[in-house]
Amino acid sequence: MLEAHLKDLVGTLEFEISLKLSARSYAIMLGPSGAGKSHTLKILAGLKKAHFAEIKLEGQNISHLPPEKRGIVYLPQKNTLFPHLDVKENILFSFRARGQKVPWDFVEEVIDTLRISHLWRRGVKYLSGGEAQRVALARAICSQPKVLFLDEPLGSLDFHLKCELVEYLKLLPVRFGLSVLHVTHDPWEASFLAEKVFLLEKGKIIFEGSFSHFLRQAPGVLGRSLQKFFFQKIDSGEGRKEFM
Amino acid sequence: MRPFLILALFLAILAFFLVIYPLAAIFGDLSGEKIWFTLKDVEVWQSLKVSFGAASCAALLGAVLGVPASYLLARGYFPRELESLLNIPIVIPHVAVGILLLNVLNQNAFLGRLFAPLGIHFVDTFWGLVVAMCFVSFSYVVSAALMGFSAISEDLELAARTLGATPWYVFRRIIGPLIFPYVMRGFILAIARGVSEMGAILILAYYPKTASILLYERFENYGLSQVEAITALIVCVSLFLFATLTYFSYRAVRNA
Repeated sequence: MLEAHLKDLVGTLEFEISLKLSARSYAIMLGPSGAGKSHTLKILAGLKKAHFAEIKLEGQNISHLPPEKRGIVYLPQKNTLFPHLDVKENILFSFRARGQKVPWDFVEEVIDTLRISHLWRRGVKYLSGGEAQRVALARAICSQPKVLFLDEPLGSLDFHLKCELVEYLKLLPVRFGLSVLHVTHDPWEASFLAEKVFLLEKGKIIFEGSFSHFLRQAPGVLGRSLQKFFFQKIDSGEGRKEFM
Repeated sequence: MRPFLILALFLAILAFFLVIYPLAAIFGDLSGEKIWFTLKDVEVWQSLKVSFGAASCAALLGAVLGVPASYLLARGYFPRELESLLNIPIVIPHVAVGILLLNVLNQNAFLGRLFAPLGIHFVDTFWGLVVAMCFVSFSYVVSAALMGFSAISEDLELAARTLGATPWYVFRRIIGPLIFPYVMRGFILAIARGVSEMGAILILAYYPKTASILLYERFENYGLSQVEAITALIVCVSLFLFATLTYFSYRAVRNA
């Protein structure tokens, strides 16, 4: 379980967030651009300082720990595969960085699950967008974090690749025992993945709950426009009807 | 479109001519005897050694000082306007640079007195050459490294940190290999700039004589006909060294 209470001032935006993320769960943080979604992830991962941050992971206070010791992996929106290393070295990066012996059984399980074993010795320059995202996911999972932050992981992919990757993302909490916090402004992704939704607006969480509650109760202008969006999607058969 | 292309082609040929013709012309007037005497001239080889030795030390010093500054500028720790400050040495006339440096490094000035107990003096010494060359060439390393750091996404560093890497490991395994080709290019340009420097070292460190000082001195004393062979030799050595360094730099870029 990840629990955090953050306070910060970004430009003129007052930023105050309290959130709880259950173990082995998939949460989506929705919100418009500039709401502070990526900023929240970076503070939680220890990549940015906040005026006040109290972060507990499985009951242990990790606020003072450097990013490499927090047990949280942050996967930014852009392709962050290391361009001078091949797929193998990218995936094994965390073991090399920590000086650990490579647990090959686990690594094989990850690359088989994500179907990237045929890319093992390929240079990352030669990967397609979808392959690069799967390799980045494999690298993140192989570092064996407790929590995985995904910052708009599907943002640059076309619809077909998005659908493909969503299937892999769904597996993460159960198969690898991770808690996932996935930031997006695309409610379509939330409809397929979210067990829990955080709606962020102007540096505050204005809604927290299950996706079905979100569709019925999400507050504010954004909430209403999202509800309208989903009812249209459901009417056209693209959404998840079971939530309704 | 056609007249535009013809004009562009004419101007491009003129540009190549402007560089190649003076270089080629110097070889046209050389006799075998002149070349032989120059090749046996110990002072010429000594001056080339001093030039390249001091310029390499200056470029290395420039890289050590300039790469961290470029990183801090690229990552927003310093305001980007400070880049202009680091480029000031390019716009100051080189004789003025020599005077500025002599003013702070002579044995009565603060910095001169600070380094004197360590046995380091700057007026008419190798260290003077290094400092003068570093001052005029430093900006090239800074600009090249800044271009490199701007091209390397900060997200790579952030991702690497959360994957368990310490800042030092990130520098060694990620940033270092990616920035190396850029720094290498800046380093080569800085050596080229240092070797060609004349004005600042004329004021601060006339001795030991660099190739450009030797050329100037021989030209003043003996006239044009006596320096053609030395000029040709210096041009050949410079071109050979820069071609070699540039080749390795491009190879490093290709492998990165």
